Amino acid sequence: MSLEMVNTVKPSHQHPGQSRLSAFGSSFVSEGYTMYPVLLLLVIVGAIVAPRFATATNLVNILEQVSVLGLTTIGLTFVVLIGRLDLSLEGIVGFAPMFAAVSIVSTTAGGLGIELPAWTGLFVALGTAGLIGLFNGFMVVRVGLNPFISTLGLLVLLRGGVLIISNGRSIYSPGKALTYLGSEKIGGIPVSVLVFIVVAIVIGFIFKYHRYGRALYAIGGNEEAARAAGINVDRVIWSAFIFAALLAGLAGVLMTGRLDSAVTTQGQGIIFSAFAAAVIGGVSLGGGRGTMVGVVSGVLLIGVINNLLTLAQVPSFYVQASTGAVIIIAAILTTLASRRSSGVRTRT
Amino acid sequence: MDTQRPIVEMRDIAKTFGSTRALLGVDFTVMHGEVHALLGRNGAGKSTLVSTMSGFTPADMGKIRINDIEVEANGQSYASSIRKAIAHVQQTPQLFNLLTVAENLFIENPIVRGKFGVVNRNRMIELAGELLENWNIDIRPESLVGELGAGTRQLLEIIKALSRGVPVMILDEPTAALSNAEKHILFEQVKALKTRGVSFIYISHHLDEIFEIADTVTILRDGRVVKAREPVAGLDVETIADLMMGEKTVRSTREDHTRARETPLLQAKSVRIDKNSEKDVDFNLRPGEIVALAGPVGGGKEDFAMILAGQKRPEKGQVVSPKGPLPTIGLVPTDRHASGYVGMLGVRENVTIGGLDVLSDNFGFINKAKETSHVAQLARQTNVISSSIEQAVSQLSGGNQQKVVFARALCRGPEVVVALSPTRGVDVGAKEQLYALLRQLAREGLGIVVVSDEEDEIAQLANRVVIIFEGEVMDELVGDYTMKDLILRMEGVI
Repeated sequence: MSLEMVNTVKPSHQHPGQSRLSAFGSSFVSEGYTMYPVLLLLVIVGAIVAPRFATATNLVNILEQVSVLGLTTIGLTFVVLIGRLDLSLEGIVGFAPMFAAVSIVSTTAGGLGIELPAWTGLFVALGTAGLIGLFNGFMVVRVGLNPFISTLGLLVLLRGGVLIISNGRSIYSPGKALTYLGSEKIGGIPVSVLVFIVVAIVIGFIFKYHRYGRALYAIGGNEEAARAAGINVDRVIWSAFIFAALLAGLAGVLMTGRLDSAVTTQGQGIIFSAFAAAVIGGVSLGGGRGTMVGVVSGVLLIGVINNLLTLAQVPSFYVQASTGAVIIIAAILTTLASRRSSGVRTRT
Repeated sequence: MDTQRPIVEMRDIAKTFGSTRALLGVDFTVMHGEVHALLGRNGAGKSTLVSTMSGFTPADMGKIRINDIEVEANGQSYASSIRKAIAHVQQTPQLFNLLTVAENLFIENPIVRGKFGVVNRNRMIELAGELLENWNIDIRPESLVGELGAGTRQLLEIIKALSRGVPVMILDEPTAALSNAEKHILFEQVKALKTRGVSFIYISHHLDEIFEIADTVTILRDGRVVKAREPVAGLDVETIADLMMGEKTVRSTREDHTRARETPLLQAKSVRIDKNSEKDVDFNLRPGEIVALAGPVGGGKEDFAMILAGQKRPEKGQVVSPKGPLPTIGLVPTDRHASGYVGMLGVRENVTIGGLDVLSDNFGFINKAKETSHVAQLARQTNVISSSIEQAVSQLSGGNQQKVVFARALCRGPEVVVALSPTRGVDVGAKEQLYALLRQLAREGLGIVVVSDEEDEIAQLANRVVIIFEGEVMDELVGDYTMKDLILRMEGVI
């Protein structure tokens, strides 16, 4: 060895010359905490302008309302982390529980006549969702379609499919197995909220500490490098679509439970909110970047804004428009924050 | 041509990136009709200096004069004002893969533009055809750039820059993707243009090219000039290496740790590399052996390495291990930017993705303590220099990025390492460190396969050289081969 170079793998400071404050700032942003100050501010403002806002009932109510969006967004995050997208999740939110419902109820109640036992409801819904995810993965990995076009097509197909299998009518009371998660409470807290929290924590840990999560980030960051490192890229992509679909299916089940019926319009427009929540939460649409902490902040932000505007008795069409405006502003904030904190420049 | 008159004069150029001072008051002068080599290790500031010259990255301070254009740098962009005097060919081709050769050559070029900005397609193709003929390149102007080989694309990039008719050209690592034949085409053109008074600033890691083509040499080290305008005739490789390093360097020599009597780690049995070739390849890799696969670009040596690494399916035949299951293989891919590292992730994550299974528990969760110590140990073994193991790999210098790729390949404790172009775009110091690493691995009994285009590298490393040409093994050198043997075989002379 002709050259002795000092090897400096110092565990301490982030970049040479960078202050502790800015190191804190960049990890604050990269861990996904950017939106929490904004969220806190909104809650304070809300508590002041609308007295009913800061009550325990209302806060639980917000959580219950966002649980469906939350699960869908977490599902979406799987595919966005690997640099893909899945528009069909919105279709799954409507189709999976509807398919379960029409498989269970009698023909007089609008069923298909299969009349499966009622306890199968949840499994049929999730199984349907899983199969749809499998199909999406097949189209992207094996056939090689661009996920935008293949999942867009499937979204439209599922929207129509819901109307076909239900004859255009909603199915009421599709059975306890299907509605339990979305309707019951444990100790005063809706089960749907618990489901959302558990899923967020478990998948948050998987993203951060599991080899599967590492594979997702690696593929999103540089697919070829992941392949060269020995990761089975095709299998991970395929499975990400399946997980996304399963979570969308679960979201659909929660929604059906809350309404105690499978509605034909169920889930309409949710994919846009899910994308917005993900981007607000700092998930990069190019893949490779995003955290569960951030995703949850995006979901909560959308939920709180909707709730506040409703409490403030803003007419519903204004709610929609102002949600859009807020999404844009929040996305700008997130982008600026991450650009400031990780403005990576390379040179030779 | 008056070669005593400067065409480029840069005075006191300074440039800072964040907290890194890349250039600290550099003076640089280029004469009319001169090929001026700019040398220095990775991170010495070569690319930064030429980028400030072309305005690609504006300098913070200093004066620049090119031809009759003068610029006082203050960190603001000045690229547009000097664009007509200088062309800058960067390390990676900036071409449009989905446009044709002709469209790429004449994009934004007023020569082919008619009224209202309508491009005269016939004239464009005609002009492109002339250019290509002039350069002796046998491709149609209508073919898509994406279909061309890497070498041809690199040449196109250079032709495009030269066809603008500027008096000064920057060539930053122009031969990285070129075959020997293409290299000669390039050198012929450079020499021809030189006699017409065009000046070149030439950056390369290959010192042999410098001696072949350059007139004058300037050497940078740590953002300062350590040798200005030295005629190339008065320099030799050792002096240049010393100046670049700042200390005396000794080129290391190969060591033989081949355990010839042990069973091979890996065997290729009747493997057909290329469906057009007619012969099968049989190949054994023994423990402790460093084998180099050499031969012309596109001859199939990369393909064979990828087959050995299990990343590519052979046309016929198979890769087996006499001991039963295939050994763990660590792969260092050819192009670290494309498939080597994940830039936005840190050193730790980049290394870990090479061994997710060994670092995680039964449930697949990564053992944080084990991960940190394992990565730190690998980073030490491969001499990665970073501010911490969390630093994003995109922020590291080229040499350190390559070391991270090596650390990743070693993450699962492989028995075989397959390294394609292991030191491409890496400076002399890091090169020697990587050679020492490979020798150490061989000493420990690993089997090493190296794919390389550099004679020096092969001679410094390989106990056995397999020459692959058109998908077939043409020749093999074992043991005490000489440099001359090697060069002649790599050029296909013997």
